[in-house]
Amino acid sequence: MSSPLDRSDSGNGFYSDQESLRLRRAPSRMSNQNYPQYNWRSNPSDDEVGNAESPRELRTLARPMAQKKALRQVQQMRMPVSTSAKSWTHNKTKSLHKLKSNFREFLYFFSLWRKSLQKIGGNFGGGVESYFLFLRFLVVLNFVSFLLIAGFVIVPSLVFRSAGTSLNSTDDGPCMKYNPNPQGLVVFYEFFLHLLSGQGFMEDSLMFYGYYNNNTAMEEGRLFYNLPLAYLFTAVFYFAFCLCCIIAHMGTAARVVVATGGSTMGNYSLIVFTGWDYGCLGDQATKLKQKNIYYRLQVDLEEERIKKQAASLTPWRRVALYSLRVLMFLISIGLIVAAFYGIFVATEFSQKNNEKTGILGLFIEYLPSMVITAGNFLVPLLCDQIALIEKYSPSVTVVVALLRAVVLRMVSLGVLLFTLWSQITCDGNTEAMDCKMCQYNVDKYPCWETRVGQEMYKLTLFDLLVTIALLVLVEFPRRMVVDNWSSKLSQLVGRQEFVVPSNVLGLVYGQTVVWTGALFCPLLPLINTVKFVFLFYCKKITLFYNCRPALKTFRSTTSTFFFLVVLLFGWILSLVVMIYSLAVIHPSMACGPFRFIPTMWQIVPNSFYSLSKVTQEFLFFIGSQAFSIPLFALSCVVMFYFIALASIYGRSVAMLKAQLKLKGHDKQFLVKQIEKMKSSSL
Amino acid sequence: MGTTSSQLNKNDLSEYQELTFLTKQEILLAHKRFTELQSKEQKGVLHLRVPMEKIHSLPELKSNPFRKRICQVFSTSEDKDGSLTFEDFLDLLSAFSDSATIEIKSHYAFRIFDFDDDGTLGYGDLEKLVNCLTIPEDKQKDTEETGLTREEMKQLITNILDESDIDKDGTVNLSEFQHVISRSPDFVSSFKIVL
Repeated sequence: MSSPLDRSDSGNGFYSDQESLRLRRAPSRMSNQNYPQYNWRSNPSDDEVGNAESPRELRTLARPMAQKKALRQVQQMRMPVSTSAKSWTHNKTKSLHKLKSNFREFLYFFSLWRKSLQKIGGNFGGGVESYFLFLRFLVVLNFVSFLLIAGFVIVPSLVFRSAGTSLNSTDDGPCMKYNPNPQGLVVFYEFFLHLLSGQGFMEDSLMFYGYYNNNTAMEEGRLFYNLPLAYLFTAVFYFAFCLCCIIAHMGTAARVVVATGGSTMGNYSLIVFTGWDYGCLGDQATKLKQKNIYYRLQVDLEEERIKKQAASLTPWRRVALYSLRVLMFLISIGLIVAAFYGIFVATEFSQKNNEKTGILGLFIEYLPSMVITAGNFLVPLLCDQIALIEKYSPSVTVVVALLRAVVLRMVSLGVLLFTLWSQITCDGNTEAMDCKMCQYNVDKYPCWETRVGQEMYKLTLFDLLVTIALLVLVEFPRRMVVDNWSSKLSQLVGRQEFVVPSNVLGLVYGQTVVWTGALFCPLLPLINTVKFVFLFYCKKITLFYNCRPALKTFRSTTSTFFFLVVLLFGWILSLVVMIYSLAVIHPSMACGPFRFIPTMWQIVPNSFYSLSKVTQEFLFFIGSQAFSIPLFALSCVVMFYFIALASIYGRSVAMLKAQLKLKGHDKQFLVKQIEKMKSSSL
Repeated sequence: MGTTSSQLNKNDLSEYQELTFLTKQEILLAHKRFTELQSKEQKGVLHLRVPMEKIHSLPELKSNPFRKRICQVFSTSEDKDGSLTFEDFLDLLSAFSDSATIEIKSHYAFRIFDFDDDGTLGYGDLEKLVNCLTIPEDKQKDTEETGLTREEMKQLITNILDESDIDKDGTVNLSEFQHVISRSPDFVSSFKIVL
């Protein structure tokens, strides 16, 4: 008799082939004996050491509680037989498991917004929930990086500033004229304008780069805390930390995507076997989920029919379809280029005319942000209309729309930065008239880093204001109109749907802006944390009051992976900006911790020589070829090992599948033989 | 092995913690909700069975189209009437909990979908499954109006068997089912009931 429990722990063996054969022959008798019989008389010798049924493993058995309890008693009776060393290790592992489960319970208590997320998932599905999970990830990321920056840059700067080493503003060279806060008394509305634009009292505060000076706190002549170096390293470490978090978060999602081999359209068994969400609460949500699944199945069946039809298209019609698609592609590219040009013109105009004050001045200040937001709003709408003409299959349409929106958002930000750069450095030409003296355009930008920080701050703020304005002025009224005024038009328009992809792109855009601006505006991560927390509650409110659940679903785990990939693109964009500002552009001479140095990175070699001789030699060694080439070779070897491992696993999966098929054929053959023998013996 | 008081004693609690995937708080919450479901005379006596209709009154299960099958699968009663003791209830919550392994979840999912309890998913099981998934319960009495047409159903089930029946015997057995499940990234998070 087989004793399946002596095998190691996998739930697969519980319906062995023999069992299912027997069961199929006499279905009525076997209804409640669906678990194989446990062999009570199993040999104590062969499961002495290899006994997989430790307490942790008992709960992975799919058996009723009574059987598990009996098994546990049997185990505990066997316990005194094992040697003292084994019992010691056993106790240690037990206490370790207990510690781990306690820690997990502790974390569970602390996880942010758990109940809200559960409610959202139960009522609107996994796709919408994945947006809020992503938002929570970004909130935590921003908050932790703010703590990092505060600890290493802001707090020391405050401490050492108050310790009395003040900057000597006696230098009066041509590049040194910088007065951030000229007025003494400020009228009230000007205070508000300054708050929105980051000038005035805000400019001369901890917010922006210009406030920090290059104090290196000295104590008894020795270097105690080198603030410029700390500023630089914190910025670099902040980027590395964010990259690690994204990759770690992607790792779990990527593992799943690789295992499933990506999403395939028309995967009926997946939809039917795994489509139901047991967390659905209430009659409405259940009916909706059922409609949802019905819709998906119908759509997939229809797509299959369309595919069969399309394969039988005449060549002429195929040519017509493809040329139409190429035309639409060119049109969408044209739209995107037009948006870029608009942003470019707006940024130039805004930079040229920023001496105006008052409301008009504020309007001109915010012009680039407004044009970017308008472009981000209009162009995807038009692209959606184009997609209708292109007639791709639904999944391809979604991906194409997302890609277009991503390209639009990221590169529009890039255009803004490029325009700023060309203004600050006179198009990179340090011999031009304006830039000759100080290597940057000192007339317009006495402290250019602060100006860039202000632009990023304005973008962040404007994004939040637009979201709130849309909420109040568009979404609530739309719902009130649809609910209270029943006409054909309002039925057609209907309540709003919570569109996940465009919301996620908004988050990615906001985070990219913060990354780009963090070097120049150290408080930006904190502002962003507050903004995202506020956004969470706003979006939650609009979700529950104004939106109807979407009929078309958005697959949650592969989409999390895609969101993180897009976030990585944003990170790369801001990395390029940071590297360029650190290594190429001349820092302002009138403000900031890097004045009097030709590039920001120069502080590192300068401080390097103040380290002890041994450390210097060690660091030189690490950077030399004698170290890096063996390291590179070693990492190549490790990488090849993992590639080989992955291919072996893939091959064994294919082999096991073939084996299973073979066993099925054998079984059918044997059944036929049995029938033949039975009939011949009668 | 029940207690006559309405509290769980400490030994039982730690035993349940070891034998299920539930945390201490979850077990205590389950105990509270279970005793609320019991009738007045039975209160606190945990080895007595709560009938299926009472279990169906829980808000987490009330509108679940599979609630009948779930109770039948986890019930250890001799009459197969779907009534649950407290330990059956804990088994249920453990299989549907956050930390249960994918093997446990897929095992129980298979048994829930096996409507005729014959150990494999045949054409009839799959058809009933698709109907549960797509037709709301109050409309299940009118045939043909809601849900897929007969041809669509046939095409769908043929496609499902093409994709998942590896040994080509016309039914989906547990290993084939688990193979399909292992390719789904969302299964573990959707096969979850939390009180």
